[in-house]
Amino acid sequence: MERAPVRAPLIKNLGFKVGLLLALTAALALGFFVYVLYVRGVFQETQKLVLVAANAEGVSIGMPLTFSGFPIGRVSRIALTEEGEARIEIRVPVKDARWLRTTSVFTLERPFVGAARIRAFSTNLQDPPLPDGAERRLLVGDAAEAIPQLVERVRKILDNVEAMTAEDSSLNRSLAHVSTITGRMAGEYGVMEGVLGSPENARHVVEALKKAEALLASLNEASRKVDALLAKTDQRVYGPDGVMDQADRSLAQIGTLLEDVRASLKRADAVLTDAQAISGNVRVASDDLGQLRAEIDESVRKVNHLINELNRRWPFAREAEVKLP
Amino acid sequence: MADDAERRAFLAGHPAAALVSAEMPLRANLSVLENIAIVPQYRENLDYDRAAHRAWKLLERAGATGCALKRDPDLSFEERFIAKLLRAMVTSPPIILIERPALLLPDTDYPAWLERTLDALAADFNQCWILDYRWNEPLYAPR
Amino acid sequence: MLTRRGEAALAWLGAWGRAFRFAAGALAAAFTPALYNSATRTVVQKQIYFTAWQILATFTAFAAVLSLVIIQISVSTARDFGLSDYALEVVIRVLVLELLPLLTALFVALRSGAAINTEVALMNINNEIRALEAAGVDPMRFEFMPRVIGGTISVLALTALASLMALVLGYVTVYGLQGSSLPDFGRVMGKVFTIPILLGLWVKCLAFGVAVTVIPIVAGLDAPQKLFFAPIAVLRGMVRLFFVLMLIEVAALALTYI
Repeated sequence: MERAPVRAPLIKNLGFKVGLLLALTAALALGFFVYVLYVRGVFQETQKLVLVAANAEGVSIGMPLTFSGFPIGRVSRIALTEEGEARIEIRVPVKDARWLRTTSVFTLERPFVGAARIRAFSTNLQDPPLPDGAERRLLVGDAAEAIPQLVERVRKILDNVEAMTAEDSSLNRSLAHVSTITGRMAGEYGVMEGVLGSPENARHVVEALKKAEALLASLNEASRKVDALLAKTDQRVYGPDGVMDQADRSLAQIGTLLEDVRASLKRADAVLTDAQAISGNVRVASDDLGQLRAEIDESVRKVNHLINELNRRWPFAREAEVKLP
Repeated sequence: MADDAERRAFLAGHPAAALVSAEMPLRANLSVLENIAIVPQYRENLDYDRAAHRAWKLLERAGATGCALKRDPDLSFEERFIAKLLRAMVTSPPIILIERPALLLPDTDYPAWLERTLDALAADFNQCWILDYRWNEPLYAPR
Repeated sequence: MLTRRGEAALAWLGAWGRAFRFAAGALAAAFTPALYNSATRTVVQKQIYFTAWQILATFTAFAAVLSLVIIQISVSTARDFGLSDYALEVVIRVLVLELLPLLTALFVALRSGAAINTEVALMNINNEIRALEAAGVDPMRFEFMPRVIGGTISVLALTALASLMALVLGYVTVYGLQGSSLPDFGRVMGKVFTIPILLGLWVKCLAFGVAVTVIPIVAGLDAPQKLFFAPIAVLRGMVRLFFVLMLIEVAALALTYI
C-alpha cells in the first residue's frame, strides 16, 4: 500500500525555522531582562550612603553619583526627613566605595540644561574609608541661582570703573593735576634743576618713578580726550610753589587708583569667566554675559589709555633716567 | 422533497447529519488530503500523520489518490464531490446526507456514478442519504 | 436622520464590542493547552513563518538603515548642543521604546494584517467557516486563534531583533567598534530600562501583536456574505487597525511620561 505523502512540500524545515525564531526571541527577551537587572545593579554588592540636603530638586531615582567624572553609585531612594530636609539614599557598589573617604565632600549641581549632578570629592585617599550607611550633608550649588548674583556683582564693579573714568572723576582730576605739575616742570622756570640739585630729593623722585614705571610698564598709546585736556592745561602752567611734594603725592595717588581699577577689572573678568564656564554649554544664555564682557573690555581700554597718557606726558620718566648721575 | 422550503426544514430536522452540499465548500488553502485529515485531527485529536494516513486510505478506496495534493480550485466536479464526501465520512458519522447532488455533479450522470462510488466505499460509512427533489426521482434506480 | 445616526453609532459600538469579545476569546483559547492539537500547531508555525521568517532579512535591513539614520542625527545634534552625554539615552528611548515597536506593528499590519483580513473575509463570504464548523472543526481553534498567536509572536520576534540591531548600532556609533565601553553603555541602559518600563514595553508589543491580528480577523468576520463586500471589509479593518495601533502607542506614551 502506498504511504500517504506526509505533507504538501510547501515549506522546507518549517518546524526548525519557526523553532529557531521562537528560541531566539525568547532568548533575547529573557537575556535582555537579565541584562537590565544586571546593569541596574541587582547582582552587585552595594553599600548605602545617605546624603541630606535642604532641597532635593532635580534629584531623581537612578541618578548617578560621580567621582572624577565617573559614576560610582546610583540614587536608590529619596525621602523627606522629620526636619523637612531631603534624604537621598545612594547605593554604591562595594568595589567603588574605596573612592569615598570619611573626609569626602558631596555636592549637588544643577546646570542650566541637563540633569542635576551629584559629585563626590575626596581630597585625601589615605583617610579611613566611608562606612556603610554613613550620613553626610549634600552641598547644593545651583548655577541658575548663582548667575544673577554674579551678574549683579560684575555690574557693580563696572559701575565703579565707570565712576573712576568719568570726565569729572577723581582719577581724571588727579590726572589733570599731574598735567598741571608736569607742565610747570617743563616750563621756562621749571624745577628740573632744582630737583637734580638735591640728590636726596632726586633719589626720592626716581624711586617713586620706578615704582610708577613698574606699575605702568606695558602701555603705549594716547587718548585724544586726555590730549586735549593736557594741551589746555599746558598753556596755564605757571605756579612755582611746593611742586615737588605735590607731584609725588599725585603720582602715588594715581598709581594706587589705577592699580585699584585694574584689579577691579581683573576681578570682574574672572567672575565673568567663571560664569561663562558654568554656562559654557549654552549658546543662548551667554549672550548677556558676552555683552558684559564687552563692556569690561571697553573699560580696560579706557584705563589703559589713561595710564599710557600718564606715561607719555610724564617728563621725569625718560629724562630722569638719562640725567641721573 | 417538494420544494426548497421542505428541503430546509428537513436539514433543520437532522442537525447531526454530516452534510455533502454545495453550500459547504472545502477549505481553499488546504489540499484535499489535508481537508479530509483535519477532521479527525480535531474530532479525535489525532496527530497529522495518522489522520493523513486514514484520509489517504479513504482516497485509495474511492480511487481518487491523484487529487490528494490538489486544492479546491484545481479540482474537477467529481474530485471535489469525492473530497467533500470523504470529509463527511472520515469520522464515521451515523448519517451522511448528500444534498442536491445535481448541484455538485452538473456534468455527470450522477445517480449511476454515485451508486458506484458509494459501493466502493460501502465499508466506511453507516448510512448515506441522498436528498434530492421529487422531480429527479425517476433518475434513481429503485433499491 | 437621528435614528440613522443612532443606528450607525450602535453598529460602530457593536463592531468594537465584537472585536473585544473575539480578542478575549482568542486569548482565552491561546492559554488553554487542551485546545491545541497538531493542526493548530501547524497553522501557528505557518503563520509565524509567513509573518516573521519570510520578511526577516528585509525587515532587519530596513530597521538597521532607519536606526542608523536616527542614531546619526541624534548623536550629531546632541554633540552640537554639548549634550552628547544624553545622546545615547535619547536614541534608546526613541528607537527601542517607541519607534521600532510601532514600525514593526505597522509593517506587520500592512503585510500580514491585510492578508489575514482578506483571507478571513473570503472564507466568510465563501461560507468556508460554516463548512468547517459543520465538519466538526472549530474555526476559532483552527483558523483564528493560531493566527493571533502566530501574528503576536511574529511581532514580538521582529521587534526584538530590530531593537537588538538598534542597540548594537547605537553602541558602535557612540563608542566605536570596541568592547571597553560596555560598562558605560550598561549604565545608560540601566537608566533607561527600569523594570516597569521594560514590562511596559513588553505589554505594549504584546498589545500591538494582538491588535495586528485580531482586528483584521474581526473585520473579515463582520463582512456580509457577498463577494463585493470583501474590499470594504479589508478597508474597514485596516483603518480600524491603524487607529488602534496609534491608540496603543499614545496610551503607552501617556502612561510612561505623565
